Amino acid sequence: MKIHRIQAVMIRHLYEIRRNADRITDMVYWPILDIIVWGFFTIYLAHGGRGGNRLADFLLGAAILWGMFYAFQRDLAVGFLDELWSRNLINLFSAPLDVTEYLCGLVVVNLIKVAAGAGCASLIAWTCYAFDILPALPQLVPYMLNLMLFGLALGVFTSGLIFRYTTKVQGLAWSFAGLLQPVSCVFYPLSALPRPLRLVASLLPTTQSFEGMRQVLAAGAFSPPRFWCALALNVMYFGAAAMFFRWIFESARRRGLLVKFE
Amino acid sequence: MVLEVKHLSKRYGALTAVEDVSFSLAQGEILGLLGPNGAGKSTTIHMLLGLITPSAGEVRVFGLRFCDYRKHILQLINFTSPYVSLPLRLTVMENLRVFARLYNVEHPQKRIDELLELFGVGALRNQPVARLSSGENTRVGLCKAMLNNPRLLLLDEPTASLDPEIAWQVKQVLLQAQREFGTTILCTSHNMLEVERLCNRIVFMHHGRVIAQGSPIEITRAILKEERSEPALEEVFLRVARLEESAP
Repeated sequence: MKIHRIQAVMIRHLYEIRRNADRITDMVYWPILDIIVWGFFTIYLAHGGRGGNRLADFLLGAAILWGMFYAFQRDLAVGFLDELWSRNLINLFSAPLDVTEYLCGLVVVNLIKVAAGAGCASLIAWTCYAFDILPALPQLVPYMLNLMLFGLALGVFTSGLIFRYTTKVQGLAWSFAGLLQPVSCVFYPLSALPRPLRLVASLLPTTQSFEGMRQVLAAGAFSPPRFWCALALNVMYFGAAAMFFRWIFESARRRGLLVKFE
Repeated sequence: MVLEVKHLSKRYGALTAVEDVSFSLAQGEILGLLGPNGAGKSTTIHMLLGLITPSAGEVRVFGLRFCDYRKHILQLINFTSPYVSLPLRLTVMENLRVFARLYNVEHPQKRIDELLELFGVGALRNQPVARLSSGENTRVGLCKAMLNNPRLLLLDEPTASLDPEIAWQVKQVLLQAQREFGTTILCTSHNMLEVERLCNRIVFMHHGRVIAQGSPIEITRAILKEERSEPALEEVFLRVARLEESAP
């Protein structure tokens, strides 16, 4: 791996943010809109005396963290789609660049984008809805990292599917994470799910992270078992996604698909 | 030898795109890869770049097996084609900066400025690629291909969409690179006159196979099966294409 090649990928995607209004919309508009909607909902709950401040904190914290996870997964796949749409894949992979370097560059840019989006959402949650995430941040960071690692695994998997089935399945870039939301226990605890779904849910790093987040916001307690469980699941999912992508990439080279993308 | 291609084949199931193609390229040579549409030229170039995995055969660049030294080799070569594009929303300058970083070009700004002037697209530096005409795109693609001063340059129809004056300028730039830096060039083209003037040697492909290789005059004699004193690649091309049409 060479740092200059990773920097090249970063520069390419930072320029894209500057030139493409859609990327700025994805980066800050949706996180802000989400937090505004959830913020009003928490005000409604508070006025009706339903759930109190703790529920409001859970919802706003979940909205910020889910936004980070969703954006990370989506932006990874969309970054890859940007190359496909502009027919730039041949230029990139006829240069001495490998997939790992490409992914590293994209991940760094996505971290910047996610930090900007979550930063804006947190600022609005604090100023408009009196939800200050900062005191809990040190204990939330490990869960955030797990969410982004899972977002990376899903992004790599989605990109692999797009590689195999081309832009016919590009909608997955925006919808795949949403598919997991009902069983990720984002806005409700694991115990709220029907019993058969609980096992499925507990196998997702998202569930472990959101359960952990609620523990942090409720009692200020970080749960190492939840963190390690989520991390172990992430290592497994990321390993599987990376192997899947490598297999698809080599298969695309064998089948000549790399030069036929539109 | 800069490039050695030995018994290269590519099969997609029952379809054979390239079969048993062998040729080599010495330093400073300009080789034309010719043939009608579907002859296997682009597939061959894509295999030389590692974008398509060959079904059989071997590619050696600078004496090194491509599959073992991919990154090292790709650092020393470059490629352009009018059928690929640079990111459309980025400006010409931004795109070239990205690729200059990718190839770790020394003094990138100086090199980019030189190339933009050389190919007559200096005035377009701040234009998004999406706003360029096809001829301008071709020239910006050539700037990208020359960024790292490649020792081997693979060009797919380098003068496509260019008017005759600009095409002549591009040819001069390529010949200058060959003279001054010993750049070795492999190009495909449908402009036979241009190939006669530019290329020292030609590999003529048809249905994925090499049907003749040699100098333009040797190719003319071999395919037309006539004694000629001047190369006539246009005639050769038409003869091969018509053979295909008249085939049962």
